[in-house]
Amino acid sequence: MNVKVNRRKFLKMLGWGGAGTALAGCDMPTTVTLEEGKEEVVSYLMPEEYVVPGIGVWYASTCTQCEAGCGLHGRVREGRVLKLEGNPDSPINHGKTCMMGQAGLQAHYNPDRITAPMMRKGGSLQAVSWDDAMAELAKRIGPSSGVDGKRVGMITGTISGHQSVLVNDFLGQLGSKNHYVHEVINSSVWRSVCRDMLGDETPKLNFDKARVVLSFGADFMGTWGSSPVHNMGEYAKFRKGDERGTLIQIEPKMTMTGANADLWMPVTPGTEGALALGVANFIIDRGWNLVDVPARVRATLKQYDLDTVQKVTGVNVEKIERIASLLSERSPSMILAGAPVEGQENGYDSVAAIMLLNLIMGNVGNTIDATAKFAEASMRPKQGGTKDLLLLAKALNNKKLDVLISYNTNPVFTAPDVLQLQAGLANVGFKVAFSMFPDETTLSADLVLPIRSNTEDWGTHVAAYQPDGAVMGFQQPLMEPLHKETRGFGDIMLSLLKLRSKDYAKFEDYYAFLQTSLLNMPSSIVASTGSKEETWNSILQTGLVKTKGITQALKPKLVDMRYKPSRANSEYPMQLIPSTSLGLWDGRHANLPWIQEAPDTISKVVWGSWAEIHPKKAAELGVKNGDYVQITSASGTIETQVYVYKGIHPDAIAVPVGQGHDEYGRYAKGRGVNSLKILNPLMEKRTGELATHATRVKVANAHRKEPLVKMGSSEVQVGRKFVRTISSSVLRRTEKEA
Amino acid sequence: MSLKNILENYSYYRRDAEMGGHHEYEHRFGMAIDLDICTGCNACSTACYAENNLAVVGKERFEAGQAMHWMRIERYWDEIEGDYPEQGAKLIPMLCQQCGAATCEPVCPVAATYHTPDGLNAQVYNRCIGSRYCSNNCPFRVRYFNFWSYYEDSWPEPLHMQLNPDLSVRDKGVMEKCTFCVQRIRNAKDDAAREERPLKDGDFTTACAQACPTDAIVFGDTMDPDSKVSKLWAKHQIHRGPVTAKKDKNDEEIRGYRVFDELNVDPSIMYLERVRDTEV
Amino acid sequence: MIKIVTLKQLVSMSLLALAVLLLPATSFAELPVPSHITPPVGEHDGEDVPQPIDFPHNRHVKDMKINCMYCHTYARRSKVAGIPPTSKCMGCHKMIATDKPRIQKLTEYWEKGESPRWKKVHDVPDYVHFTHEKHIRKFVFDADFPVEDVQQVCALCHGEVREMTVAEKEKPLNMGFCQRCHQANGGPGDCWACHK
Repeated sequence: MNVKVNRRKFLKMLGWGGAGTALAGCDMPTTVTLEEGKEEVVSYLMPEEYVVPGIGVWYASTCTQCEAGCGLHGRVREGRVLKLEGNPDSPINHGKTCMMGQAGLQAHYNPDRITAPMMRKGGSLQAVSWDDAMAELAKRIGPSSGVDGKRVGMITGTISGHQSVLVNDFLGQLGSKNHYVHEVINSSVWRSVCRDMLGDETPKLNFDKARVVLSFGADFMGTWGSSPVHNMGEYAKFRKGDERGTLIQIEPKMTMTGANADLWMPVTPGTEGALALGVANFIIDRGWNLVDVPARVRATLKQYDLDTVQKVTGVNVEKIERIASLLSERSPSMILAGAPVEGQENGYDSVAAIMLLNLIMGNVGNTIDATAKFAEASMRPKQGGTKDLLLLAKALNNKKLDVLISYNTNPVFTAPDVLQLQAGLANVGFKVAFSMFPDETTLSADLVLPIRSNTEDWGTHVAAYQPDGAVMGFQQPLMEPLHKETRGFGDIMLSLLKLRSKDYAKFEDYYAFLQTSLLNMPSSIVASTGSKEETWNSILQTGLVKTKGITQALKPKLVDMRYKPSRANSEYPMQLIPSTSLGLWDGRHANLPWIQEAPDTISKVVWGSWAEIHPKKAAELGVKNGDYVQITSASGTIETQVYVYKGIHPDAIAVPVGQGHDEYGRYAKGRGVNSLKILNPLMEKRTGELATHATRVKVANAHRKEPLVKMGSSEVQVGRKFVRTISSSVLRRTEKEA
Repeated sequence: MSLKNILENYSYYRRDAEMGGHHEYEHRFGMAIDLDICTGCNACSTACYAENNLAVVGKERFEAGQAMHWMRIERYWDEIEGDYPEQGAKLIPMLCQQCGAATCEPVCPVAATYHTPDGLNAQVYNRCIGSRYCSNNCPFRVRYFNFWSYYEDSWPEPLHMQLNPDLSVRDKGVMEKCTFCVQRIRNAKDDAAREERPLKDGDFTTACAQACPTDAIVFGDTMDPDSKVSKLWAKHQIHRGPVTAKKDKNDEEIRGYRVFDELNVDPSIMYLERVRDTEV
Repeated sequence: MIKIVTLKQLVSMSLLALAVLLLPATSFAELPVPSHITPPVGEHDGEDVPQPIDFPHNRHVKDMKINCMYCHTYARRSKVAGIPPTSKCMGCHKMIATDKPRIQKLTEYWEKGESPRWKKVHDVPDYVHFTHEKHIRKFVFDADFPVEDVQQVCALCHGEVREMTVAEKEKPLNMGFCQRCHQANGGPGDCWACHK
């Protein structure tokens, strides 16, 4: 390929002139019959040789629907992308995608995208030109604005790669240290414990080596840990190994991962740490541990004898013994802890107790290992959590910020009402939103800059979890921008950087910046083979930059077991679980019709919210599927329909996160409820993260009902054998021979 | 179908289903879906929406049972005495089984659905008059009728640009169902013809199989003995045709089965039983 | 007086008469049908479809003898034969006939970075899967038919394009038209081969 005709120019030459033309003239699917002169055909201007109308061309890119960084291949025909598949070269997803990855197309082609910059005038947002928008930015935060950098803040989602470099430089130019990184779905507490007890925040989880995975609420195939696609691939290896692995899931409400468990059980919410310590105590007592523990730890564990643990957790003695025996008999194991544990006030201590099991069973260095880290520290991901959301809310309420810029995050939606975030935003004189959609945060802004979608823009992404080497995902446009008046995030940031520094003047645009940077990376990071042209082509063709990562062996270290169970509350007798799932994620995908129409794995509900409760609780309340209940915490009330099933602890009520948008377009707006809103302002003690799963509520029958819209009618097979099951013990005897 | 024709070709029409019945098959596409590693993630279902121009119908029409999910993940709970579903949920991807002896084919008043030489159950949208007899007859309930002209509101601009030009967008009054991504099969055959070689396993696959993160869905030609899917069928002792032969004496331990096999409709999809560790 | 015509003269006069009779036919004679093809049957009285540029096929095909597939190059590679990219036109017309008004109009498009919006004349409905590639392969390449004469094959469905300026539909292209040719020439009769 002739590099003189660079990627940018090549796309222009496809001659794809605008939204209407690419579809061979017909602007809607028609049932047109054999009439001449009705449809139009616009030929290409000067296509590349490999572009043949009627045959799709595939380009590589990287998905940004969550932080996983899976590689993509996009099928492009006649200048428009039609289908996304996984990139087989990516070590993260190996050519596979999840439903969010597939739905990336609907984010790109979404009818509710913002197509022009908007500025608040007289209270409402009105369309303006880019010149006006950039002039306003220069006026407010440019070199002659006199803005105080210490009073400028930026809130983003997880950010990495060159985008992170630009954001750092931008805030650095202003003298601001206020970069808030916010994600509701995060494993911050797990990462803290891993850092302290293993020496690595994101250890490698070798599912294929484990014979038993004991997961305390870690929905690793859904919203926990890293790429759900990667983890599902690992899960398949886990099941298909010589010895089929066994999955035990202990969580207050069944997640998608839990639905696949061999043994699923709930414990009294907040007592997972006690269970872990009880199991550890039993193991050490029997001498089954593979790694010794100091006497002081043994002494702490002694409190957690079987009867005590049974009383605290509700799990009976036989089961506790059984779990301990399994971990010992079927070594190596892997023990994980997820959101229901992390999200308690004693989250860190609970996770530490669970991690202790990994240490004593010799899993460290075996099923739990080190991962490679990206060598260029400035491009490593800044991972979001909820601590920064709390810090931002505090800063807003204390009137500490004059300027707030938001990108790839929606705190107005995710912040609990008690934080009074929306009111706090009123204290910020100038709010800028880099956004594709009219979501709640964007519509609170004073200046809205419409950015290009992942499908039309350049970027690089370094995933936090690197299962194989240290790879940077390369994102390239799969087609020309859909809306002329949108701009790439990187391009806009570069324009802002140029206001204050001549260093950036030599980069015409973000593409040039990326190309220069990637082709000049030191050989200690990128082993370059061949010429710059060859390297660049290889990056474009594979959608990846493979680098030499930095790997350090894990250093297991015990921390003090300071776990104490959380206390129940009689006024608010139930535990609220704001559960998240693959699909809606943290609500960001509620504007994608495919996601709304995809039935939830557990409840099969579509296009709405629901509250999951156990039949015992339902009987007490006198409710059935579809009946409305009122769920009240100390911080607010929501009302939604009930779904009754046995996969939840009777004292828990789970209201999935994702619906309840006040804005965000036609598919998301005014649909369902947002359980995050009524969370109490409780914090995890050691990390300062919001304790999302610690809110207790009382539930009352709201005495009204509507049909619960879900897929499928029968909840049970009624003796029919659609899904047949076989016991693994039987299988172990035979499949090995086959 | 004259008497003379039947008498002259009697042995041809009376061939066993395993020999292809009264069809001349070039291929017989089939699948093997491993329920032990199906996680119920819905990636397959969404990929199918993307590939096949499936209409998103919205809440009201979904409630009325008019959703168009050609591929759906069904979830069943065990009927248990205990308080908790200790063995998780039972998940199964259900899609058109492309039955060899399809119950939908003989009942169409206009023969809009028939069996192709590729072993697929074809639905010709142009011929369909919307009697819905076929969906009534389908025991798997995998046929979907266009009760509305979904194209009027399912793809507000510019969502319509995502539509796949390799297949139709269906209008009101027409029945549709999973086609095993026949447009991909057609394209692959064209590619193979261009390269002057026969179609081989792995040249192409269905959208669902391509998306599945665990590779639970294996798609291929059951007439090709070297294909992955043929090998799986052979291993689990599933074969075309009615369920006649008993499996060998270890048969409880071989995991393959077909749904509703007592109906003898000869589905092209073999499911592998979900495995649960009952000792835990 | 009777003019006595010799046999030789009679024959040459008849021949002349015959030639005169046949002459109009041969000058507007249809292209010969390739011997290995049973041609599709059917005619259509096409409308005049005005195009952004009144492109003269006759000039390019009959006078310049340019092969159909030089411009409609995707015919042998893809489903659609394709309207040639503007760069193909400009390949010649950067230099040739640049003073002519139609060329100037074309150059205007090129300089603006746009392509003309042609109206489709030979179109099959959206639910039909028709691929040029397979037809060209069967009737030209696999039959060892000389590529120089490909217009004889194209004419079977596209009519006498070499006599036209802009394309006009001369064949009905309805299902019966396709079906009859398939039946006669061994093409697929399976519904799903063409209906998508």
